[in-house]
Amino acid sequence: MNNGNDIEIEVKNLNFFYSGGVHALKGISLAVRKNTINAFIGPSGCGKTTLLRCFNRMHDLYPGNRYEGEIVFQGRNILGADIDLIDLRSRVGMVFQKPTPFPMSIFDNVAYGLKLRGIKKRAELSERVERAIRHSALWDEVKDKLNESAYRLSGGQQQRLVIARALAVEPEVLLFDEPTSALDPISTAKIEELVVDLKKEVTIIIVTHNMQQAARVSDTSGFFMLGELIEIDGTDRIFTTPSNKLTEDYITGRFG
Amino acid sequence: MSKAMTRMQSRKLQSAIALFLSGMAALFGLFWLGFILWDVLRHGTAAVNWALFTEDPVPPGTEGGGLRNAFIGQLMITGTATLIGVPMGVLGGTFLAEYARGRAISRFISILADIMVSVPSIVIGTFVYAVMVKPVKHFSGWAGAVALAMIMIPVVLRTTEDMLSLVPWRLREAAFALGAPYYKVIVQVVYRQASVGVFTGILLSIARVAGETAPLLFTSFNNAFFATDMNKPIASLTVTVFQYAMGPFEEWRAQAWAASLVITIFILAITIIGRGIIRWKYGNK
Repeated sequence: MNNGNDIEIEVKNLNFFYSGGVHALKGISLAVRKNTINAFIGPSGCGKTTLLRCFNRMHDLYPGNRYEGEIVFQGRNILGADIDLIDLRSRVGMVFQKPTPFPMSIFDNVAYGLKLRGIKKRAELSERVERAIRHSALWDEVKDKLNESAYRLSGGQQQRLVIARALAVEPEVLLFDEPTSALDPISTAKIEELVVDLKKEVTIIIVTHNMQQAARVSDTSGFFMLGELIEIDGTDRIFTTPSNKLTEDYITGRFG
Repeated sequence: MSKAMTRMQSRKLQSAIALFLSGMAALFGLFWLGFILWDVLRHGTAAVNWALFTEDPVPPGTEGGGLRNAFIGQLMITGTATLIGVPMGVLGGTFLAEYARGRAISRFISILADIMVSVPSIVIGTFVYAVMVKPVKHFSGWAGAVALAMIMIPVVLRTTEDMLSLVPWRLREAAFALGAPYYKVIVQVVYRQASVGVFTGILLSIARVAGETAPLLFTSFNNAFFATDMNKPIASLTVTVFQYAMGPFEEWRAQAWAASLVITIFILAITIIGRGIIRWKYGNK
């Protein structure tokens, strides 16, 4: 199965330094296969979110941050200076911890990324917006109020709207940064169901504090500590027979 | 036990004294505010008539006439000041809150703006007099508008900065994550989110300058005739009130009261609209 052709992202000896000089990621190497769900787990401050934010170069927003090493995506090192960030970010979408709907209508929220890419024709926008909202399992709840403010939706609905917004531009990879930590259990279940469903089309990397969530949805799990990748393997193995003592201690709740 | 009781009693006594003193202070302030408003209302309503808005001043001692020139002049000066001050204030605030966020220069300009807000307006009037009136040797509407704009800019700038800073950072990151360049993030997401707050700040800054007299005395001065040339001295309600109230004629004083009433209502209306918008937007959250 792992024949090398189905690798979506390969991280090669990645080091990351925050502007103050903090060495936040230390020699990370890992491969993410296409159409899989990959969970990053570990205690707070372990670097899992930092790594996630390397994949769409979010760290570039803040001066002084520095990458070393390579992240190969679609045959190119996306840490290179020649990378078009707008293009990269349309291929690698991101969903945040708290829902981030924009102060505009439901329709305009989902259309936002499309309009950024110069799509103006109403018919095409409508079609792609509908497809994205259907995709994120929100269509039946919002189809009659597409012109209402996105702020009228519940937290769980807002999070699915934000996922629809990311899906509308048809990315290859979706990054989730603790997407359910601000949601109630029912909304969480819906998002998890959606994430599993989405892997047919996109590759998913999800950072989570919730170990059960990692166990429920992911195919592989990587355990991070103090900026290092301690262990990455199939989720079943990580949660039953981890090869590293630290992983086992964390999974069984001895620290973290 | 008895000791505890006395402590309780002494605290209650302290509380009662504090409540009494602060209540009296509030009443004292409110009394004068009510007194002023009542006086303006009483004298003003007696003198307000239609001619006030439609006719220009007549020679002193003559019956009738109005202050059309001052109303138009006031609108022109305040309007021009808004056109100058609002864009500069909003763009400056945007620079501080977005492009220079967290940098020393941003803090420095913020503090300067705070100082500017509390500079007496007459100082700004004399400054504009020195740079815009003295060199050309005549008063002008432009100078008046610039003086008012200089009072507005720090107010609008600080409000804009504060309102933009309230927009959660994750909202910007979400827009960046979709590939938006910074200027689009600001215009399409941040401004939209902060629009009510910024707009309210603009309204309140207009209310603030609409009542200014001192900076206009040195700049646009006054004009007894109807004039719309911003290069010439131009009448304004506030300076007219100042001049008429000090004047020797009964009709002047009556018109000064009427003009005071109109300014007060105008400023009150803007302020109430501004506050109303804040409550409507943020009240039930």
